[in-house]
Formats: sequence, C-alpha cells, structure tokens
Amino acid sequence: MMNMFFLLREKLVEVLKAVTPLVLVACVLQFTLVQAPLALFLQFLAGSMLAVVGMVLLFMGIDFGILPMGKFVGAELPKKNSLTLIIAVAFALGFATTVAEPDVLVLAGQVEAASPGGISRQAIIYVIGIGLAILAAIAMVRIIGGWSMRYMLAAAYLIVLVLSLFAPTEFVPLAFDAGSVTTGVLSAPVMIALAIGLSSVLAGRSAVSDGFGLLGFASVGAIIAILIMGMLPS
Amino acid sequence: MSEALIDEIATTAWSVILAVVPLVVLFLAFQFFLLRLPRKQIAEILTGTAIAAIGLFLFLLGIGVGFLPFGRAIGAALGALDQVWLFVLIGVLLGFVTTWGEPAVRVLADQVEEASNGSIRGSVVLYAICIGVAVWVGLGLLRISYAIPLLYLLVPGYGLAIVLMWFSSKEFVAIGVDAGGVATGPLANSFLLALALGAAASMESGELIVQGFGLVALIALAPIISVMVLGILVRSGTRDKE
Repeated sequence: MMNMFFLLREKLVEVLKAVTPLVLVACVLQFTLVQAPLALFLQFLAGSMLAVVGMVLLFMGIDFGILPMGKFVGAELPKKNSLTLIIAVAFALGFATTVAEPDVLVLAGQVEAASPGGISRQAIIYVIGIGLAILAAIAMVRIIGGWSMRYMLAAAYLIVLVLSLFAPTEFVPLAFDAGSVTTGVLSAPVMIALAIGLSSVLAGRSAVSDGFGLLGFASVGAIIAILIMGMLPS
Repeated sequence: MSEALIDEIATTAWSVILAVVPLVVLFLAFQFFLLRLPRKQIAEILTGTAIAAIGLFLFLLGIGVGFLPFGRAIGAALGALDQVWLFVLIGVLLGFVTTWGEPAVRVLADQVEEASNGSIRGSVVLYAICIGVAVWVGLGLLRISYAIPLLYLLVPGYGLAIVLMWFSSKEFVAIGVDAGGVATGPLANSFLLALALGAAASMESGELIVQGFGLVALIALAPIISVMVLGILVRSGTRDKE
C-alpha cells in the first residue's frame, strides 16, 4: 500500500511537470491576446484538472498493464519458431488497433468526402488498417531477420514521395495525416513494447535500434494506402 | 448536467472502449492459446489496463470539455492577428509546450531510457522531439499565412529525413521514426490544429480541414528529423572523446 502511495506521488509530480508549461502559456495568452469569455476559461482550468488526474492513472495503468502486455507477447513470439505466427500477430494487432481508433473514423470521413468515386467510409477504414498492418508485419520480420532499418525506411519514404507527386492534391494532406492518427495513446505503447519484448529475447539484437521503429514504420503503411486509394480510377 | 456534457461523456467513453477492447481481446486470445501466464500476472495486467482505460477516459474528457473549446478560442483570436511574426512565434511556443505534455511522447522517452539502460537519457529525447515540433509548427503556420503549397515543405522534409538517416546512428533513426508516430496526440489536436484552422479561417481560403491536416502531417515529420539530428550530434560528441 505504501508503495502505491509513493508511485502515485511520483506519477503526479511527472504529470504536473508535463502539463504545467502548457497551462501557463494558455493562461498568459488568455490575459493578453485571447480574452475568451470567462466561462470558457474556467472550463479550460477544470478540464486541465481532469486531464491531470486522468494522466496520473493513465501512466500508472500503462506501466502495470499496457507495457507488460506488449512485452510478454513480444517475448513469447519467437519461442514457437513460427514466422507465420509472428506475421499474424503483428498484422492482427496493427489492423485491430487501427480500425478501432476514433481519429481514423474522422479521417476516413474526410477521405470519403474528397474522393469522387464514392468509396464507402468503412472500406476506407479497412484499407488504412490493412496498409498499416502489412508494414507492421514487415517490420516484425525485419527484427527477426536482423535487416537494416535504414534501407526499408528509405524505400518506404521514397514510395511515399513518388506517390504524393502523382496523387490528387486533396489526398496528400489526408494521407500524411493518416500516418499519425493511426497511433493512439494506448496502441502506441503496446506496439513499442511488443517490439522491445521481441528484440529482448533474440540473440544479438539491440533493445534500442531493433526495439524501436516498428510503430513509425507501420504508420507509413497508412500513408501509402490512402495515396494509392486516391490514384485509383473512379 | 447539461445535454452537451452527457453527450461528451458518452462519446469519450465509447472511444476509450473502442481503444481498449481490441487490445484485451487479442491479449486474452494470446494468453489462452500460447502464453499461459500465471493467473496473478494476468490479473495484474488486466487491472493495469483497466486503470489505464479509466485514466484515458478522464484525460480525454478533460480535453473534450476544456482544451478543445479553449484551443479553438485561442486559434480564432491569434489567427486574426495582423502580425504574422507574433502569430508564428506563439505557434512555436505552443508547439513546444503541447508536445512536452503529450502522454505518448513521455511514454516513448521513458521506454528509450529503459531500453538503453540509461545510456540514452529520456529527457534529451523529449527535448529533441519538442524542439522539432516547435520548429515545424512555425514553418507550417508560415506556410499557411503565405499560402505556400504543403508539398513544398513535405517533399524536402521527407527528402531530408532520407539523407539524415545515413549520417545518424541506427538507434536514433529507430527512435525518431517512432517519435513521429507519437508526437500528434490529443493535446496537439486541441491547440496546434486550432492554430492552423484559425490561420486558415482568417485567410478565407475555404479549405480549413485540408490546412489543419497539413499541419498535423508536418508535426509527424518534425521529430523524425530532430531526433535523427540529435543522433548525429551524439555521434560526433562520442567521436570527439575517442
């Protein structure tokens, strides 16, 4: 119980350090340039208190639940000696967390509005999910195979650059945005922990240069997916 | 309670459920078929996940009722400023402090420190990410103010990332890519997106949403570049010692 208390205090200090600068800047702006209605400002202050309490719990829960979840699964994967299993898990995790992300839904609505062909919103969400899941699976295979991140990343970015020069202009910002909306506050730590867990049990892997990169590389898949969708003939 | 608040609570709860359920289902399936961790450990993980879900709910609710509307007010007021330099300067400042508070960025920085056994300090990575976002928010707002096409920033930006990755160490390339994924969270959506919308609204360009999305794309690119640059600096620093 005593431990719990110290942990709570430690997390509270961390969260206050994280949020205070933002709240201060917002307060200074309120009294100088913005001068929003008082009710709106008070609502902001109440919201920040709620956000602080939420962040303390969120960080504790991520430490106890979310990160161990990813690390245990990642560390267990190579023991079965099945590449198919690893690909399947990476694909399933990438797909499931992406299609459930609320921001992806919003983005899909925007893509739907931008596309003349009348692709349904649900189809767009699945395409984004599949694009991300494929690159997540490739990134997992990379960790197993011990390939260099640089070549894969350079290739992925080159594909993105070339596609964005040819895709319709209204799709480009949407596509690049897809790369970031797919990573949520919970799914990002899970993906990071999964890769760290996997590289921790393989011989000769660095926890840093192999453990990181999966999340960001996978999100390029969402960008590519939307760019290709934009280029399809309607 | 007002209807709007009840609505906000319901939407927030639903989005948290959507985020948590796939994780728990996949984990339980994995536990059942392969993992078979002791029951005590499973209970701990699930309790932790439940705490995280409650925390995420309160956090997002605070953002929804407090940050988003106030962020919009800030965006509208600043977007109407006549002095572009002041608007951009405040954007740079807000870019730094919002990223500084973003939960997933902090988790990433902590994980870097832990995975590297402390040889890469989490706080250094955090500073690099925040500085990167601050610079690119500034560039992004300038772009909107002077109606420069987004591709003029995105193409050189990604081109720069491709060049930098050969000079940076592979550790920092990997960290940087992930940092790009976590930099755009709920706080950036409340404040930075609102700035972009405010600027676009004052220009009457009519493509508000496209402008806003464009800024998010730049925020995702920013830490990739700044963390890779950090890797180059660290590398040249260690060479000097040799």
